[in-house]
This record gives sequence, C-alpha cells and structure tokens, in this order.
Amino acid sequence: MTASLHPRDATGTWRIAAAVDWRAWDGEIVAYNDRSGDTHHFADFAGWLFARLAAAPGDVPSLTAAATDAVELRCGAPAATVERTLALFQKLDLLDRVA
Amino acid sequence: MRYETIHLRLGPFTAALTTAFREVGEALARLYPPQFRKAVGAFADFHVALVPGKGVRRFVRPQARFLIDGQDPFKPLPADQALPLVEWGLNYAIAGLAHQYMIVHGAAIEKNGRVAILPDAPGSGKSTLTAGLIHRGWRLLSDELALIRREDGHVVPLARPVNLKNASIDVLKSFAPHAVFSEPVADTVKGTVALMRAPDDSLERVDEVAPVRWIVFPRWRAGEAAQFTPFSKAASLIEMGHHAMNYSLHGAQGFALLSEILEKSGCYRFAYGDLNEAASAFDALAAAA
Repeated sequence: MTASLHPRDATGTWRIAAAVDWRAWDGEIVAYNDRSGDTHHFADFAGWLFARLAAAPGDVPSLTAAATDAVELRCGAPAATVERTLALFQKLDLLDRVA
Repeated sequence: MRYETIHLRLGPFTAALTTAFREVGEALARLYPPQFRKAVGAFADFHVALVPGKGVRRFVRPQARFLIDGQDPFKPLPADQALPLVEWGLNYAIAGLAHQYMIVHGAAIEKNGRVAILPDAPGSGKSTLTAGLIHRGWRLLSDELALIRREDGHVVPLARPVNLKNASIDVLKSFAPHAVFSEPVADTVKGTVALMRAPDDSLERVDEVAPVRWIVFPRWRAGEAAQFTPFSKAASLIEMGHHAMNYSLHGAQGFALLSEILEKSGCYRFAYGDLNEAASAFDALAAAA
C-alpha cells in the first residue's frame, strides 16, 4: 500500500469508527464497515494497529511509541509505518477523528 | 403440447413447476420422494416453468426455456438439457429470492447434530466429496446452497439432488452403487452432468435444522492423501463472505451472523484424492468434536 497521509490528517487523533464492527482471532482482524458495506482483513502490523485504535484513540506520536514497544517492526521507520497504515484505514473510511 | 404442473417441496420452499417436458416430470419423480410432491394448487414460493423454444428452431433443434414468474433469465438450452436446466433454474430462484436466509454457495452436511459447510470453488471436488460423504453416514442438507437461518445461525436443509459432473459420475456410481442417478446429459456448459438423489435419511429429516461446527474448504487432487489443515478464522470469514451470495444484502447483521458461526467453528482446508480416505478423515473429525 503506497497511500500517504495528508499532513493535516497526520496531526489528528483517531479511533475506529462506531460504524465498524470487527472480530479478532489470533492477531488477525476482520472488520465490517457499515458506511461502505465492505469487509476487510488485517494481519500483522495492520491488525495490531487496528486493535490498538479500537481499544483507545491515538495520534501518530502515541501510536508510534506504542508500536515501538509492542511490535517488532520490520522496517526501520515506525512513524512512517504508522502513518502509512493510518492512511490505509482512512482511505477505507474506518476511522473517526477524535481531536 | 401438454403441460403438467408439479408442486415440489424444496426444503422450506415449494416450487410450482409447469413443464411441457414429460421426461422432466418422470426424472423428478425418481429424484424426489413422493412426499415431496405437493397437491396441485398448494401455496408456492416460486412459480417456474419449463417451456419449448420459440420459432422454427423448436422443430429443427428443440430447445427448453426456463421461466421464473414469466421472465426468461437464461438463454434457451437444447431440450435434452431440460432436467439440469430445471435444477439450475431452481437454484437461481432460491438464491435470488430467499433472502430471509444467508445463502452460502456451498454444500452443507451433518453428523451427530453438527454441520460442516463446504464452500464451493472451481475444481474443489465439493460435490463429489459431498456425494460420497452422504453415502457414508453424513446427512445431506444441501449440495449447492447452504441456507443459514439469521436468528440462530442454524442450517436449514434443502436435501435436493446432488449435481455431479464428468468423471465424478462414474466415481460415485462405483462408490455408492445403490444410489439413484438421473441419466447423464452430455455437452452442457459444465460438461456431462447427472443428478444423484439424496439418501432417504436426508429426505426424511428435511425439517431438522442443525448448527454449524466446521467450515471446510475442500480441494481434490489426484493421489493426494486426505488431510485437514487448520485455516485462519479471519481468512475463513472473508472466504465465507465471498461465498455468501447475499452477504451484502444482510449488511452488519450478516457480518455478525458469520462472525458468530466462525467463532464456534473449526476452520480447515481439506485436501483429498480418494473418497474412502476422505470419509474416514471426516468421521475422525466428527468423532473428535
């Protein structure tokens, strides 16, 4: 996925939208978006970030810090990975802005 | 031309089939038990008809057309394909109209009160496997359309004939020599096809719903040993969504329903190359539940 965040979006605090129902099994997430009618499957880092945002809202710095502690990121730029994955979630209309 | 109207029970539905093809009526009488023939004039969920082709062609190369409520959703087929056309047309009618159920394109079989759903995929050997298992102690709920009740996720039986294709026909005739088959029909879009009547036990228990316990994605390959391989529940849910023909219509409730089923089910890929081995493997799966 090559989508990038708009700078304005990168500054917000986000959570999984109320319109999204989801289930987690073995670290994998399946999410149904009632706004789009689409169903998505997230594994690995995307699965972790989704579960994190479902548990509590987050912004890029806090999510990056949590990801660095909790997940072995294969790339060397955790902030970029968080931003890229958030951009994916935004593109799929899975997020609501909290602040 | 003389028309006959048959009121036929299809699981929870009744179809009123008007046919001008006498041989179709005779074949249906072999494939469905007498108690599935309802009185003429009974309430029908689907009104379908099998009528001759139009124009001069009907005298040169006779054709059959399938109508639903007077509409003609398919191209006409050669008249000798009238029976498979009826079965395909009835599938079309159920899949297009029975949205009170989540309809999964796949087979459903039951043992010890638990259902295995086998989603269909080209070349999976799903119908061959289903046909074999229902002659080794499993009950047929459906070969093509698994009807899932929305309120509790239980599967509602259809117990219609199993569609077999090409080499599978002879495989099953050898595997289940007492089974009842229609005459094979060659040169259909699916090759040579034949219908196998559901076993008596499956027909007699057509009102017994049962909960899903397993989701199994079969794959037939010559010489392959029968083996279950655990499959991710998340990936299974995505696959089930792809196979659920009216998933999008059910929206969030459909997702919740499939999720609940997946939560309670074991999910597997199943490779097999021999029906006897496959039956043993499925029996071991049922015994371990």
